[in-house]
Amino acid sequence: MKNRIKIFLGVLLLASYSCSEDLLQRDPVSSFSAQGFYQTSSDAQAGVFGIYDAVQATFSTNFSYWGEGRADAVNTNQAGDPFLLQQNTLNTILASARWNNIYETISRANYAIKYVPTVFDGDSEFGRQLVAQARALRALSYFYAVRVWGDVPLIIEPYESIQQNIFPERTAKELVLMQIEADLIYASENCRASFGGQRDRILITRGAADAMLTHLYMWKKDYVNAIASADKVLANSLYSLVSINDWSRIFTQGYTNESIFEIGYNEVQRNSLRVLYALGSDSNFFPSQSFRDSFEEGDLRRNLIYDVTETQPRKIWKFFGEGFSDESPEPSDKNIVMFRLADIILLKAEAHHQLGQTAEALTLLNTIRVRAGLPNLDEATAINLYGDVESAILHERLIELSFEGHRWFDLVRTGKAIEVMNPINGLSDEANLVWPIHEDAINRNPSLVQNPFYQ
Amino acid sequence: MSQRIRNALYKLEGSHLALKIGLSLLVLLFLTFSVHAQGITIKGKITDSKTGEPIFGAAVIVKGTSNGTSTDIDGFYSLSNISDQDILRFSYLGFEPQDIQVGNFSELNVSLVSSTSDLNEFVVVGYGVQEKRNLTGSIVSVGSNEISQTNFQDPISVLQGRAAGVQVTSNSGAPGGAMTITIRGNSSLNAGNSPLYVVDGVPIETNVTSSLNGTENFGLNPLADINPTDIESIEVLKDAASTAIYGSRAANGVVMITTKRGKSGKPQVDLNIHSGISTVSRRLGVLNASQYRSAVLDSYANANSSEAIIPAVLDSLSAVNNGDFDWQSEMFRVARQNNVDFSIRGGSDNVRYAWSSSFFDQDGIILNSNYKRITSRLNVDFDVSDRLTIGQSVSYTNAINNRSNAAGSGNLSIVRELLIRPPTFAMFLPDGSLNGYQLGRRNPVGLAELSTNLNKSNRVIASQYAEFRIAEGLKFRSSINVDFVSMKEDTFIPSTLDFREGYNTGSVRSSNNMTWANENILTYQKQFGTSHNFGALAGFSYQDWKYERAGLDGLFFASDNIRTLNGAGTIANQDVNIATEHSMLSYFGRVSYDFERKYLFEANIRADGSSRFGRDNRFGFFPSASVGWRFSDEGVFDNLNFLEDGKFRFSAGKTGNEAIGNYTSQGEFMVGTNYLDFSGASPTVMPNAGLTWETTTQYNAGLDLSFWENKLMINVDAYLKNTNDLLYNVPIPRETGFDFITQNIGSIQNKGIELMVTTRNMDTRDFSWSTNFNISTNRNMVKSLPENVLTNGFIQNGAFHILQEGYPIGTFFGWRFDGVYASDEDNVNGITNGAQGPVYRGGDPIWHDLNGDGFIDQNDRQIIGNATPDFFGGINNDFTYKNFSLSLFFQFSYGNDIYSEINHQRNSIVRYNNLSTDALNRWRQQGDITDYPKPVRDDPLQSMSRIQSRWVEDGSYIKLKNVHFRYSLPNKILERWKISKLDAYVTATNLITWTNYTGYDPDVNSFSGLRVGVDQGSYPQSRTIILGLNIGL
Repeated sequence: MKNRIKIFLGVLLLASYSCSEDLLQRDPVSSFSAQGFYQTSSDAQAGVFGIYDAVQATFSTNFSYWGEGRADAVNTNQAGDPFLLQQNTLNTILASARWNNIYETISRANYAIKYVPTVFDGDSEFGRQLVAQARALRALSYFYAVRVWGDVPLIIEPYESIQQNIFPERTAKELVLMQIEADLIYASENCRASFGGQRDRILITRGAADAMLTHLYMWKKDYVNAIASADKVLANSLYSLVSINDWSRIFTQGYTNESIFEIGYNEVQRNSLRVLYALGSDSNFFPSQSFRDSFEEGDLRRNLIYDVTETQPRKIWKFFGEGFSDESPEPSDKNIVMFRLADIILLKAEAHHQLGQTAEALTLLNTIRVRAGLPNLDEATAINLYGDVESAILHERLIELSFEGHRWFDLVRTGKAIEVMNPINGLSDEANLVWPIHEDAINRNPSLVQNPFYQ
Repeated sequence: MSQRIRNALYKLEGSHLALKIGLSLLVLLFLTFSVHAQGITIKGKITDSKTGEPIFGAAVIVKGTSNGTSTDIDGFYSLSNISDQDILRFSYLGFEPQDIQVGNFSELNVSLVSSTSDLNEFVVVGYGVQEKRNLTGSIVSVGSNEISQTNFQDPISVLQGRAAGVQVTSNSGAPGGAMTITIRGNSSLNAGNSPLYVVDGVPIETNVTSSLNGTENFGLNPLADINPTDIESIEVLKDAASTAIYGSRAANGVVMITTKRGKSGKPQVDLNIHSGISTVSRRLGVLNASQYRSAVLDSYANANSSEAIIPAVLDSLSAVNNGDFDWQSEMFRVARQNNVDFSIRGGSDNVRYAWSSSFFDQDGIILNSNYKRITSRLNVDFDVSDRLTIGQSVSYTNAINNRSNAAGSGNLSIVRELLIRPPTFAMFLPDGSLNGYQLGRRNPVGLAELSTNLNKSNRVIASQYAEFRIAEGLKFRSSINVDFVSMKEDTFIPSTLDFREGYNTGSVRSSNNMTWANENILTYQKQFGTSHNFGALAGFSYQDWKYERAGLDGLFFASDNIRTLNGAGTIANQDVNIATEHSMLSYFGRVSYDFERKYLFEANIRADGSSRFGRDNRFGFFPSASVGWRFSDEGVFDNLNFLEDGKFRFSAGKTGNEAIGNYTSQGEFMVGTNYLDFSGASPTVMPNAGLTWETTTQYNAGLDLSFWENKLMINVDAYLKNTNDLLYNVPIPRETGFDFITQNIGSIQNKGIELMVTTRNMDTRDFSWSTNFNISTNRNMVKSLPENVLTNGFIQNGAFHILQEGYPIGTFFGWRFDGVYASDEDNVNGITNGAQGPVYRGGDPIWHDLNGDGFIDQNDRQIIGNATPDFFGGINNDFTYKNFSLSLFFQFSYGNDIYSEINHQRNSIVRYNNLSTDALNRWRQQGDITDYPKPVRDDPLQSMSRIQSRWVEDGSYIKLKNVHFRYSLPNKILERWKISKLDAYVTATNLITWTNYTGYDPDVNSFSGLRVGVDQGSYPQSRTIILGLNIGL
């Protein structure tokens, strides 16, 4: 019997020995461990597309909340963000005060910028093209962050360990703008000039980087560099103005030759365009009285921009097509056009005007006016109609780029925000031009200090 | 001896092997042993000493072996293959067992003495069985008799109100719907609060959930795959001494489910048939069309909208707005159910079998919901030799669940839609087709009848074992256990329910959930002299989990009638094919010792290694020890004749929790974050290599008392449970790109008292009456949370709750509603909505301005309720008179609050929602004194949508949960008809509920996990009455 026991114990030991600890090492099957992902060039490519995925989420609603919500082209019946933005009663629980998606984009970009080069042996053109896209998307994110909140934490390394400083402080916006410029210059030098076909509109090309640089320099009032960047865009054979007959297609179909960068969406990756604009009075926004009254006689774009057939509800037609009447509050699959040629032409016009080159400014302005069926404007008429040439250009941007998310930033950039919005909602304090930081962000990060106006 | 002992002897002492090397060597070893049969046959008759009547079904076994039989209907038995040295044990439930040495007898007639105690019963413990009277831990047991009095189709429901310290709430009243079970309070923040379930020694997978809409109150009950009729007993292991042998999975307790096994003797055939009907237990008041229109008008008038708007719903002449429905009438129905159970159990000298099969078909009370289940089970034990027994338990379940989407907050949730859909919306459009979608609301009738929500599952739970008796008292057992669940799900929403022409969506998911384990156990049991009893156990196990899923989503199907994905115009969502793995390696052991059963001692230890943790933190050690003192056996108590038995118990030990994501410690880079058709990948989980176990230290003190020949039995337990190193998803700044990181933080304490009282009030020849009462109280408290995870001193836990030091889990946090301003002037302090917002006016809610700063904002939120009950329990009364028996079971919960999110939904008009009839008392004009605020379109001041005390209700209740009335045909007739049993019975469930709660049912818990006590509009509970017939051959 003793022997039998020994044998059994032996079996037991044998069995337990064969259970080595390797049995307990289980790597993910359908995903990758955080540091194990970047191995091949297709991984690098996927990592960069993952950034665009975050960009889709960032701008789905906020391109409008940030760019139009506080400005004069829209009005609203809606509680929540639209109402509070319009009334200039911003609080710390606004949806548009959250920067979560922006920093998720930045995090993905930081991972890509750090790890994409590691999968290529030495210098690789493809690798640089990918890093350039990542840096451009990071710049796009920071550019919005700076314009919306002012100083923001500048994070350019991926978070990979709890040992890193997970409570970053805000960085002076001038430093953030320097980083944006560096990223965009790299992108302008290293991005692909063209991918071919529709991809030229929905991925970051060299032209897209130049367009963003134009915007950046305009924001910094660096008009010489703005003109230089705009010239590169204008010289880029990918871009041309569409005719007025195709003007609606820029938004309803997407992928037109006028488009420099648009965020792609489809049936399953959808955005809030319909909820923002399509539901008439129930939309987040509808065209304001002052906007409707500001059209010049004969402007061919009026019927394309909003529902002129009824007094209300006044649906915005621009993104859905003339006569559009479907009021369902569901997500939209249309692309969101971020930058297009008309935008850059008008920015360049502004820059020339700022440098005293009014003739060049008017020529560029008239390119856009003539397409809309309006007569050429000379300096005297511009002053007569709009007070000065700058105002004429800004008005043209108001109509041409209506609801595309530029108006508020135009007002802030040109120092006209208080002048325009004070009669509407009493905006009177420069410190009020930024958004509050969302209280969730403040709560999570003790290093953050709220913008003074909202303290 | 009860059936339970047989089970215990036959199947447990769960040791297990599986590694092929071990098994094959073992087989070789077995071959070296020859079979030594002794050849004596003994027969006899067993009778009741009191009445002289034969006892049918009494057990006769050879002590220390599994060789045994049971008596036939006339009390006769016959047992062969025994030697004269063997001791026979004669036993029957309710009688004192007798041991007699065979000696020279060839016939042994035994008369058993009735015992009024169940203290001699055995209970199932981790890797073994134990005599109930010798327990030193805290275990509560529910037997087949109690199960048979209910009509529940899953084992969890059976436990509700019957087991002290075990709190069971319903997530959904749907057939096959999920339940939440909490043993001795919630002890974890993020790592799961479900107990470990062990079915016939198989630790089963309970994360079997729907991958489509599988969350929250739309969950499935993973244990509905086990037919309660098959169950012999359910044991709930509560304290560390009982659970520590299951180490890292035991912090939330262990539920051991043991199924019936065969015993030697004539086959026993049982047929159980029942049919019944269910109705919704309550209807809620909603506005009719004219009341509704008036409310909508008010809401527009109150909004002062800048643009004049004419709501379409006011147009009663419109063909789509001329209805006047209470949608509850259209949606609820009288639902039928049918069940057939069939089993044969029996055995010969060396084989015992139990085969059962059942078919259950239940309609839900919501239109078109249905649950069908087929179960089949075969438990076999085979004595290969006098040393070796092999056996298996295999069960197969096929379930088809035609589900109602009763969940969630979207407009696909039937329960919400049927309460808030405007009564005016027409059922049909002028062209005769269904009015499927109008102004953002989907037609609930259409959702129920036209959409597909089908869940089909196949599950096999199997265990095979070999048990080898090496020497006297020493045996080795090895088993391989498998739990395999395959699930296929289909959903489809036809275009008739969408606003877009031809826009229909469908999804398909197919998943496999497989876990297997190999367990190997050596046990030793030895009595030294007459006083010293010694036991030991050592074992190891390996368990492996694999989950994989594939699926597709489609849209733009060519037709609403082709619902398979080949009909889809666009295929979307390719990231649904995933697989994950997890493994665990464990070593465990136990020693026990007692002296004359007076001084009892036991110690357990388990070491678990889990793949879920970083390499350096992989193994955890979980020890426990317990002592017992039977003070009633001390001489000083000899004079206390009324004291039958008295025992004091104490235990202490550590258990763990490893229920976190499989790869959380490694961080995760997720594929499927695509940009259009370009495949993308993104970092989604930030790594934390330092992650380790959550550890619970538990102390338990208990007292078991039995008086007056066991007419009164009292069990009291008091416990203290401290859980440290809580696994928690700590929110971190979003600037990092991540939402949270899983860390070990903080601690939670649970302490409580549990009392069980069993009395035999009357026990005469014709009439008996017994009562079981249990009551439990648990005080849960978050003891510490690290500073850096707190916001304003607390952690927001979902929308309704917070976690704060010194307060329990389940604390509701929001604004205190103090009534309604009767007029503008009543707001004397000019309180405003937010610092810069408008001043509250007549008809607006009065919010408590907590900090007195003159405006209402986040800082005015306060604790407004608590979801955990002060105490809960149940009381069961069993009456028998001659051949009639009646059991009345009441279940209660006291002091718990419910956050009625559904009441918020049905009192918030937003745009066009219907309201509850409470809205008839709404504020209408200056001076109105009421507690119902004015409805305002879009609720701009969040009067309704704020988390507020107005939606917190007292959830206390007493329920007549179960009534069971049974008539058994007298023995004389049975003998004439040559059958052993013919019973007819009526069972009623949820018959009456006494409560102040205004929702469908206070037994509600929409979210699993920490967000307890929220009613989001779950599938309502039903009142069920069934008629049944039980036939035994």
